[in-house]
Amino acid sequence: MKKASKIFTALMFVFLFAPIAILLLFSFNEARSLSVFSGFSLKWYKELFRDTETLKTVRNTLVLAVCAAGVSTVMGTAAAVGIDRMRSKYLRSAMDMVTNIPMINPDIITGISMMLMFVFASRLFGFANSLSFITLLIAHITFCLPYVILQVLPKLRQMDKSLPEAAMDLGCTPWGAFWKVELPEIMPAIVTGMIMAFTLSLDDFVISYFTTGTGFQTLPIRIYNMTKKTVTPDMYALATLIFFVILALLLLSNLTDSEDSQKLRAARKAKRAASGRPPRDPRKQRILYACGGSLAVVAVAAAVIFAVTETDNKPQVLNVYNWGEYISDGSEGTLDTVKAFEVWYEEEYGRPVQVNYTTFASNEDMYAKLSFDAVSYDVVIPSDYMIARMIEEDMLLPLDFDNIPNYKYIADNFHGLYYDPEDAYSVPYAYGIVGIIYNANEVDEADAGGWDLMWNDKYAGRILQFNNSRDAFGTAMYRAGLDVNTTDRSAWDAALEDLLAQRSVVRSYVQDEVYNMMESGEAAVAAYYAGDYFTMLDAEAENVDLRFYYPEPTNFYIDAMCIPTCCQNKELAEIFINFMLSEEPAIANAEYTWYASPNTLVYENEDYIDEMGEDAMAILYPDWGDFAEKYNAYAYRNLDGELLDYINSLWETLKIN
Amino acid sequence: MDKIIELKNITKSFDGEVVLDNISLDIYDNEFLTLLGPSGCGKTTTLRLIGGFDTPDSGDVLFMGERINDLPPHKRNVNTVFQRYALFPHLNVFENVAFPLRERKTPRDELEQRVNEMLAMVALKGFEHRSVASLSGGQQQRVAIARALVGKPRVLLLDEPLAALDLKLRKDMQQELKNIQKATGITFVFVTHDQEEALSMSDTIVVMSEGRIQQIGSSQDVYNEPKNAFVADFIGESNIVDGVMLRDKVVSFSGHTFECVDGGFGPSEAVDVVVRPEDVDIVAEDAGMLRGVVTSVTFMGVHYEVIVDIGGFKWMIQTTDYVGVDERIGLYIEPDAIHIMKKSEYSGLYGDYASFSNEFDELADAESEAEE
Amino acid sequence: MTKKTARRNLVTGVASAPYELWAVIFILVPLAFVAYYAFTDNAFRFTTANITRFFTATSSVTGADGAADEVRTYLVITWRSVKLAVISTIVCLLLGYPLAYIISRSSPRAQKTMMTLIMIPMWMNFLIRTYAWMTILQDTGILNNLLGKLHLGRVHIIGTEAAVVIGMVYDYLPYMILPLYSIMAKMDYRLIEAARDLGCAPMGVLRRVILPLSMPGVVNGVTMVLIPSISTFYISQKLGDGMFFLLGDAIEGQYTANNLHFAAAIAFILMVALLAAMAVMRRLTNKYTYGGAAA
Repeated sequence: MKKASKIFTALMFVFLFAPIAILLLFSFNEARSLSVFSGFSLKWYKELFRDTETLKTVRNTLVLAVCAAGVSTVMGTAAAVGIDRMRSKYLRSAMDMVTNIPMINPDIITGISMMLMFVFASRLFGFANSLSFITLLIAHITFCLPYVILQVLPKLRQMDKSLPEAAMDLGCTPWGAFWKVELPEIMPAIVTGMIMAFTLSLDDFVISYFTTGTGFQTLPIRIYNMTKKTVTPDMYALATLIFFVILALLLLSNLTDSEDSQKLRAARKAKRAASGRPPRDPRKQRILYACGGSLAVVAVAAAVIFAVTETDNKPQVLNVYNWGEYISDGSEGTLDTVKAFEVWYEEEYGRPVQVNYTTFASNEDMYAKLSFDAVSYDVVIPSDYMIARMIEEDMLLPLDFDNIPNYKYIADNFHGLYYDPEDAYSVPYAYGIVGIIYNANEVDEADAGGWDLMWNDKYAGRILQFNNSRDAFGTAMYRAGLDVNTTDRSAWDAALEDLLAQRSVVRSYVQDEVYNMMESGEAAVAAYYAGDYFTMLDAEAENVDLRFYYPEPTNFYIDAMCIPTCCQNKELAEIFINFMLSEEPAIANAEYTWYASPNTLVYENEDYIDEMGEDAMAILYPDWGDFAEKYNAYAYRNLDGELLDYINSLWETLKIN
Repeated sequence: MDKIIELKNITKSFDGEVVLDNISLDIYDNEFLTLLGPSGCGKTTTLRLIGGFDTPDSGDVLFMGERINDLPPHKRNVNTVFQRYALFPHLNVFENVAFPLRERKTPRDELEQRVNEMLAMVALKGFEHRSVASLSGGQQQRVAIARALVGKPRVLLLDEPLAALDLKLRKDMQQELKNIQKATGITFVFVTHDQEEALSMSDTIVVMSEGRIQQIGSSQDVYNEPKNAFVADFIGESNIVDGVMLRDKVVSFSGHTFECVDGGFGPSEAVDVVVRPEDVDIVAEDAGMLRGVVTSVTFMGVHYEVIVDIGGFKWMIQTTDYVGVDERIGLYIEPDAIHIMKKSEYSGLYGDYASFSNEFDELADAESEAEE
Repeated sequence: MTKKTARRNLVTGVASAPYELWAVIFILVPLAFVAYYAFTDNAFRFTTANITRFFTATSSVTGADGAADEVRTYLVITWRSVKLAVISTIVCLLLGYPLAYIISRSSPRAQKTMMTLIMIPMWMNFLIRTYAWMTILQDTGILNNLLGKLHLGRVHIIGTEAAVVIGMVYDYLPYMILPLYSIMAKMDYRLIEAARDLGCAPMGVLRRVILPLSMPGVVNGVTMVLIPSISTFYISQKLGDGMFFLLGDAIEGQYTANNLHFAAAIAFILMVALLAAMAVMRRLTNKYTYGGAAA
């Protein structure tokens, strides 16, 4: 029995720590992969410390967790004291019920409900920035509060009620009795509550996802938004570091709290007594600790608010909203384009500027945030069909091209396209074409070519399909020769039939998992973007040989820089856009993302061509003849809300089959 | 002697339930006063009103002539020893006792001297640095007393302080408390449901029931001259029977006419008659004023407890002479052993030993402890 | 009411007043917004269409036999979510209960260490942890490599219900253990001895003494696991190969499709159902548990 329980416990801890061990191991991997270990390296740690954007989100996450834990601990403790003393049974049970609501409400509902309220409030009162650090903090405090209260309240209820009475009897004021007797009694529960609040806030993703806003991004959101590309291994390095820091902290607290040190303290006290000196007033020490503790919390909170407002008060702030992993960020010796802009701007204009760079996971995600009027961004980089929609809905400002002289380097192909026929609102940033990636070790060359490969039941269980409706339906419609922008619902129904037929051969519906699965040979066929193929090539496993081709017709997309109506500093935004078009940053971004650039300064640059290599250039910049014609024919266009809703329900049908 | 605390016409109810019903009580300087009664009689509430933890709904609490109804506990020169001591678990023995002195910012030297004095008084020297959780019940009790006394209050309130101790320790502590009270000259207001404890310690006993004061008097008064059936039954053992006062100093009960020492009742007034078990002599059947059959005999150490059935009413008699069960005996009662009480709401509720058993009493005790 | 009680209530009122205000503004009002959005259309006109859509929208589903069936889309999604959540909760309970019990019977030092170890994974981002599970479980993953090296064959887990359940159990197990442990650590060991003394076999002790006494912990643990697992969307995406479309996915999908009113309607229905379920569960356990209410 004893032995069995030991084995069971050991197995459970293996289970709990298995993924952490994996992260630990692969944080030292030389390659980017999380499944193929190719050699020991510390480079991801170096990358992590160079990755200022990630470090900033770590700082944000910590700041948020400290503030949320601090405020919810103080407010929650006070609330528990108040509820404990409530005379009215009804009031007490009402409070109990309300306190329970955030705990028995799924976080997705808490997140949505708070977002709806913040958005409504912003529309009502006209706060441009209603989703911000403050809303995030409010949301975190709200879901942390019940945990603090539910820790403290039972402890208060257990406490001998005559303790505070005894203190008052012996000369304490009610306030003094609380501080000197009740608080030390319930302190362990308060500390536990605070640690829980801190932990929950640190780990929360869902509620933050819905309530976060301009310029303040937390680590979980940054990680989620990496889904356009892939989670970078410096995140594993970060997780490993967090693990060791916590371990060290816990060991430390265990040490100071262990019986030995208690004995030590007792001995010290006894010595003091023996030497004839009167003992120190321990209550004073406690009060000191309490004051010190709360002061520290207040100080941190103040520092944070100062830091936050301080950045906000800088004369020049530029809020940029872009896809995750879509800009050269200084990793692996590349140029940190955002920082380069800050430096360049200060040199050029003699004033500092701060860029708040935040990321989104999808066009729809970005559109949702912008459409609530609850955020304020100066530059956004959506895709073509979304730009069309935003122009239609008056969400974008026309650009002043006097401030963007570098626009002249944009290739002719990218003028007058359907989404912005007058070239008034957008400046192309990158473009791409969907192709099919396959593992030549598994797939016969004869089967390659065309969309049929994705439906080929020879490769059943080896095929990956997009995990979003538009792209998945796109593959079926290109294959069937249907117009991907048709308003004819029967065409969409037909595409659904194809997708349903394909379901039995599909291994997974994926987003960023595609990297991992293709690199490791977990799957053999996937449709994805040309640029990403090269990223995968970098990390492919030994027994994997990835190849790429364009089926015809296929999806073309362009992501372009725009200025939304909520922009606070249009000229600065235009200067930023112009900077991104200049040679050095543009090349850096193109090299970093592996996506094709519409900028002649990039693709005509010798160094860039050398760096990319002939094969890559051939794939990234194929000769399409009249690009604009093809693009206008096959790119996604904005569909109306009702049709989108219809497609969404078809998608759900596919998913529940 | 001066009145130190006066309670005037105090009524208090919780959630619509009347806990104290118009009580008035004077507490004098230097006295050892006991509030005695079964659980739920309002004795603890009375104590809390004096301590300042509750406020009366109506009526006044006076301290040395001044109204202190709304004075919070920390401003009252009254300290309390709580039922479960309420020692501060995060402080050691020394700091628990030093608590009120720290509160008053007593200089260090004086503080240490006074704490040590107190610890010496309660025989806890050498325990200064022990955690209170490591002490035995009796030791905790002493810490609580030392802590309550170190601030030199005018009045010490003790809320069933001995309830959690075992019998032997309780007896010792009773004596010690009495000694401390004498030595310090502080007024003690002591709450208990244990009548023996009350009788052995108190200068004045206040018997309470159902939120009302039933009787105030010295130990002898309440034992010998109970005001009503409740007091007679609650304090010691009593046979309480219905009687008729024929005239002054002559009473008739159980079919016999007795001489007694009481008077002042109306002609043929129905009364309650109390006869203490130890005041009844057993005689031969035909020599007895009353006759009956022995139904049970219990050996109690010093004496036998004999239950006698007299015309269907069971009497309890304490005697040193052995009688056998089923023996027919006679009872002889001296005139001064008969105490006459006016009829009250408690008449007929007490004093018949028909269902008597020691076990029931203990059960009742346990229950009352659990409630409080 | 006398002056003093009035004052005391004032002090009390002040202590919890900020929270009360907070609770009204940031707990109750947002829920009202969910209801408001659920019952309005895009122009904020009253409608029950969102609610009826949840119950009536149909899809045709091809069964294993190839026959097409008309099913109610969201009810199918709900059923699938509930099923996976319930399975995960049961597995969490089956694993967490003995572990909590073992921990609660260890030496104080071991207790502290083990509870700390259980908390540690919670401090590392759950997205990353889920990601790591993906690489463990996939066909070419670490588990299969290990099995392959041991010549034990391969298992296909990723993309199955089992993988989703593993992910949920992993992420939410600490939420099950914490409340169970805190109840068990406080449990009086003498009660178990008493039960043994009174002739209970070990299983009987468990069933008749330990289980009823730890019921409040079970209720709390079940609540804390069931709630997040019924609404998760990340775990099902990563470990389910995108094959499992759960309620969380549906809500998130409607949100990104900018269909806030229908997202709110799904959320509203889920919320009402959960509140009702919790109320029933608490009432039942209160009835059958000694000592009643879970804290």
